Amino acid sequence: MNTTDKVKSLVKNITLIGMMIAVIEVCKIALGFLPNIELTTFWIIMFTLFFRKRMLLVIPVFILIEGTMYGFGLWWIMYLYIWPLLSLMARLFRRQESVWFWSILSAVVGLFFGFFCAMPYVVIGAVGGGVRNGLYAGFTWWVAGIPWDLVHCASNFVLMFLLYHPIKLVMKKAVKYNIGSD
Amino acid sequence: MESTKKAAGKIMIGVIVLVTVIAAFVIIYNVFGAKPVEGSKEISIEVVDNDENRTVYVLKTDTEYLFEAMEEADGLTFSGKDSEYGMNVDTVNGVTADMDEGAYWAFYVNGEYCNYGIDSQPVLDGDNFVIEYTIFTP
Repeated sequence: MNTTDKVKSLVKNITLIGMMIAVIEVCKIALGFLPNIELTTFWIIMFTLFFRKRMLLVIPVFILIEGTMYGFGLWWIMYLYIWPLLSLMARLFRRQESVWFWSILSAVVGLFFGFFCAMPYVVIGAVGGGVRNGLYAGFTWWVAGIPWDLVHCASNFVLMFLLYHPIKLVMKKAVKYNIGSD
Repeated sequence: MESTKKAAGKIMIGVIVLVTVIAAFVIIYNVFGAKPVEGSKEISIEVVDNDENRTVYVLKTDTEYLFEAMEEADGLTFSGKDSEYGMNVDTVNGVTADMDEGAYWAFYVNGEYCNYGIDSQPVLDGDNFVIEYTIFTP
């Protein structure tokens, strides 16, 4: 690849990464009035399946933008490990093509979202009063949010089930027309 | 044909496992979740402001959660920002805790830090709540 092609490839990748982040952010803001109903899970899975290693930049930049927009609170710490974990899961199961598989996986992610978010509370509670206190703090925080996790589970399932095939079609065309190719 | 059957079988197992886990979560919530008690309850709410001035509100209430009890307390005013976890209180009795300076209003019940937001913190007969202006020190 000569220098011109390298530059072209770099510009294409930067543009693509920017667009992916913009899509996630716009969808997040658009659905912001609906608690625990989000498309971030869906887009991170789909983008990981089709645009692969670009997610190494998409996810950190997305998390950074979220922090600058909404403040770097405890929720931001949760974002630092939850979204990379989701992308890693999508990468591990990249050969799966069943809408049922991805819908169930998305549902599980939504269901356990609160559980994973409780980790910082375990740490905070442990620092303040020992491991047992930490586990208790994390556990009560998680249990209090279970109704919202159920909403999250159902919405993730439905959104993935409805959008997987149409978006997959579009993504395949994008890759075919060299948009996401390496 | 065989692979289609296998795939359908796997999907069925996945759905059953998901439904089972959801049921388990519902059970955990019902068993371990906060259980408010209705009825006439006598509680106290003590506000300690940034100058360490203490104001105590004693009230009888039938409310289930701290948010409503605070609304009922005569003379106690508060406000904050709504979030998906309930209200984040930033102002009590006209005193705003500036988060940029590491200040916040800490909530305690019977000497222990509240584990729930005020929208879901249960109120039991005899509870003593303390709302204290606190500066975060790492």
